[in-house]
Amino acid sequence: MSVACGNQVGLQYLSGDISGGNARCIAMLQAFQEVVKDYSTPPEKTLNRDMAAEISSCVSFLRECRPLSVSMRNAIRFVKNRIAKLSITLSESEAKASLKSDIERFINEKIIGADMVIVKHAVTKIRDGDVLLTYGSPTAVEMVLLHAHELGKKFRVLVVDSRPKLQGQLLLRRLIKRGINCAYTHINAISYIMHQVTKVFLGASSVFSNGTVYSRVGTACVAMVATAFRVPVLVCCEAYKFHERVLLDYSICSSNELGDPNAISKVHGREDINYFDGLTNNANLKFLNLMYDATPSDYISMIITDYGMVPPTSVPVIVREYQKEHLL
Amino acid sequence: MGAQKKVAAAARVRDDSEDLTRQRLQAIVLADSFTTQFRPITLERPKVLLPLVNIPMIDYTLAWLESAGIEEIFLFCCAHSSLVIDYLEKSEWYSRSNPNLLVRTIVSPKSTSVGDALRYIYEQQTETSQIQGDFVLVSGDTVSNMPLADLIQEHRDRKKKDEKAIMTMVIKKQFRLEIGSDQIFMAVDPLTKQLLHYEEGNARSGDVCLDKSLLNSSNPSVLVCNDMQDCYIDICSPEVLSLFEDNFDYQHLRRHFVNGLLVDDIMGYKIFTHEIQSSFYAARIDNLRSYDMVSKNIIQRWTYPYVPDINFSGNRPLKLGRQGIYRASDSVQSRSADIGASTAIGYGAKIGNGGKIFNSVIGNGCCIGSNVVIQGSYIWNNVTIEDGCEIRNAIVCDGVKIRAGAVLQPGVVLSFNVVVGRDFVVPAFSKVSLLQQPTTEDSDEEMEYAGSSSGTADLLSGVNNLQLESKASELGPDGTGYIWKVCDSAHDEEWKHSVVPIPMDKLADITRAMNDDDIDDESVVPPSGELKSDTDSINTDANDDYGYFEREVEETFLMAIIKDDVDHVIRLINSRRFAYNMASADCAGAVFYSMMRLAVNTPHNSARELYRNATGVITKWKGVLGFYLKQTDEQIEVIMKFEEMCEESAELGPLFAKIVHFLYDKDVVQEDAILRWGEEKAGADECDKVFLNQCEALIQWLKEASEEEEEEEDS
Repeated sequence: MSVACGNQVGLQYLSGDISGGNARCIAMLQAFQEVVKDYSTPPEKTLNRDMAAEISSCVSFLRECRPLSVSMRNAIRFVKNRIAKLSITLSESEAKASLKSDIERFINEKIIGADMVIVKHAVTKIRDGDVLLTYGSPTAVEMVLLHAHELGKKFRVLVVDSRPKLQGQLLLRRLIKRGINCAYTHINAISYIMHQVTKVFLGASSVFSNGTVYSRVGTACVAMVATAFRVPVLVCCEAYKFHERVLLDYSICSSNELGDPNAISKVHGREDINYFDGLTNNANLKFLNLMYDATPSDYISMIITDYGMVPPTSVPVIVREYQKEHLL
Repeated sequence: MGAQKKVAAAARVRDDSEDLTRQRLQAIVLADSFTTQFRPITLERPKVLLPLVNIPMIDYTLAWLESAGIEEIFLFCCAHSSLVIDYLEKSEWYSRSNPNLLVRTIVSPKSTSVGDALRYIYEQQTETSQIQGDFVLVSGDTVSNMPLADLIQEHRDRKKKDEKAIMTMVIKKQFRLEIGSDQIFMAVDPLTKQLLHYEEGNARSGDVCLDKSLLNSSNPSVLVCNDMQDCYIDICSPEVLSLFEDNFDYQHLRRHFVNGLLVDDIMGYKIFTHEIQSSFYAARIDNLRSYDMVSKNIIQRWTYPYVPDINFSGNRPLKLGRQGIYRASDSVQSRSADIGASTAIGYGAKIGNGGKIFNSVIGNGCCIGSNVVIQGSYIWNNVTIEDGCEIRNAIVCDGVKIRAGAVLQPGVVLSFNVVVGRDFVVPAFSKVSLLQQPTTEDSDEEMEYAGSSSGTADLLSGVNNLQLESKASELGPDGTGYIWKVCDSAHDEEWKHSVVPIPMDKLADITRAMNDDDIDDESVVPPSGELKSDTDSINTDANDDYGYFEREVEETFLMAIIKDDVDHVIRLINSRRFAYNMASADCAGAVFYSMMRLAVNTPHNSARELYRNATGVITKWKGVLGFYLKQTDEQIEVIMKFEEMCEESAELGPLFAKIVHFLYDKDVVQEDAILRWGEEKAGADECDKVFLNQCEALIQWLKEASEEEEEEEDS
């Protein structure tokens, strides 16, 4: 039963039905809750050790489906930590209940609650007449934009997108539905449209302790162009996605994910564009469909987290001071 | 780039047609819409000359036809024909440097409809034979950038194969939710693309009635769609003209001609459709809402290369700036004026301090004072707007003066040379003209337009009077113009046909209605687009059909049993069943009827011989019966049918119980069916119970048997 539940989430990762750091993390935690619910300690075993093993097997399946993001790894660390710290005196049902409420608390405080705090901070940075640029479809930024619109602020949004995922189109659809004035373009035109932009809002998959932002591929490019045009770059990122690691270069980063090469070799909906036909197996040709890139901290003006708005240089402080709290 | 395409297209066409007898690519452009949607503006100027983003509509149509490789264009002028011809003479269309394009005009002020126009062309044809072959029929308010050469070739090829394919209609997936124009229901054969049904539905009731004859062996499936837009671009063969001549009551191209052809099936002529790819644009301006939409599409460049910053028809190109702002190079704008996105500003326009202009088109030579707000409006040429005016979602025609402080509420249309008085508020959706509203409303909308040319003169003479007694103007003390009254019924619909953005609540209503429709549609039309066989409209005459069906089944059965193969019989009967659209129970009834007829018709001397005949037939063909008698209901149907037969036939009557018993023995009819039949019949009149009484013993026996069984099970 519990395996089936983890399997379903994994398959949803694989098919791309669940994407986006927060959505993936919440889906995983909810799968863990199911695992805990269905768990019963086998005879001759202790709950603390055996359940950790159960969670590990679930995680390894999820990892097979799609590499884990930093946020997910942090969440897993939290869950395992809670299991290890369960008092041995607790009965099985008590232990399960406490574990479930812990996971619930993590979702509510570290993810959903954090987003609300971020929205509250970020909205103060949007003024009437602003032209905001966003890239891809970051959930936190979307919430910020919608909230600012509800507050009656007058601003325009430029949604910048890139092939092959074209997630920006979904964001665009949702913003248009609420009546926000939008424009849509691809990342190729970034240097042209950056003239009119007053602020850039970006999302992040994780932030490392040297201030490097690890995010959807293309983010670095947007941030660099914005910096060249003296446009402030604000990154919205929940603190649970912070990591104490230091990242210098992303091209050889082991944690980067490679996407389906077919996604970039073919143009969807245009069968007549097939310049790579017969070349896909050529030894001299490689398709690189990277999923993430790293933006050096020089190109980031500010990181908006649930602990407030901080410059990228302050990330290590947050990591140091609050990492312990995360695991509580 | 446009030019290259043009040449290439023309060259290709020439190569193709040189093989045949050389056929020029011809087009008939109707420079008249034969409707009153644009009144009062069209009383003074023909619709095709109205500016669309500062360029007359006709230029878009002609430029497109030219680049699509059309070599000869017949421009059919009706109302205000002199204005159209004057315009063409002034512009470069007559004296084009392009030797491949010939523009001719045909003038017939008497025509009042498309039908009249085509009849007139046909009459001329007998003298001059201008139209040599297939031609493109469009109206002069079409904006498109689709290529035509391939389409015409496709039409010709089809015509060569099938003489009856006389017309190809261009359709397009709806660009977005279109409100204002009627929704169109179409039924198309998905394989051949033949048009089978066409219906313009105003109400979004979601009901479509299709003739069941649409589904036959030659079209196994039908695609029903309501999300298509009719572009009113047709490739026609010369037969179309003669058809109009033959059917002199045809007025409207779609309502009469297309529907007439589809419904009355004249000489087996066929109409085909061609769906254009989403990368091409095609739209027709038939009301103010589509005027607004097409204007916006042009500004957003969906109609490329027919956009304001490209010279496609001798127009002076505007300069395109950021955010879709088109500016003429000599327009003057105050530094403090705020020009917003998606705006076009024409030559010689002057914009004063502190103005705010969004989403609007400002024509040539306009003079706009200080602190003017213009939003979503179309200001045509030489309009003077004084300080502090506010204009939202309005159309303001040439030469209008709007005095200081006046406000135009959404949906206002100001016709030519109207003057709006100081601080006057023009109420929403009002239409203002110097001409008085024609009081004699013709009942037929399309006829009404005809009288306008003579009527205009009278009305124009009234203008002078009006200026004399301008004190009495309806537009403030220093204004001139009449506000036209809107008839009450149309008032609710005003918002649909104006340039005002659709109010959110109405939009929500419509989307909800659409969604409801979708659900309804699914119940009527399965997702595959194939028709369900048992919709109500089809079953109305089912009772008549049953008699025929029974007879046919009998014939089939008698024919088939010679071959002595159960499967073969079933196959043949099934084919009848599908042809008549009958349920399995009906088949069972009919088959059993045929079997009993066979038994009765076989020579016999006594009742016993008849019984033997009947049992023989049943034993032999029980496979066939069994195929249709899978459910109790069907078995009951058979018993009832048999009952009916026995009532009619004196010979069979006494054998009823015996044969039913035999059917039971042979497992053709189950115990349940007999018992339920007995229960149903129990309440009937005495005279109806003759056969029930006959079977009483059997039913009694069956009941006891089942009770015993139950008892056995219980113990």
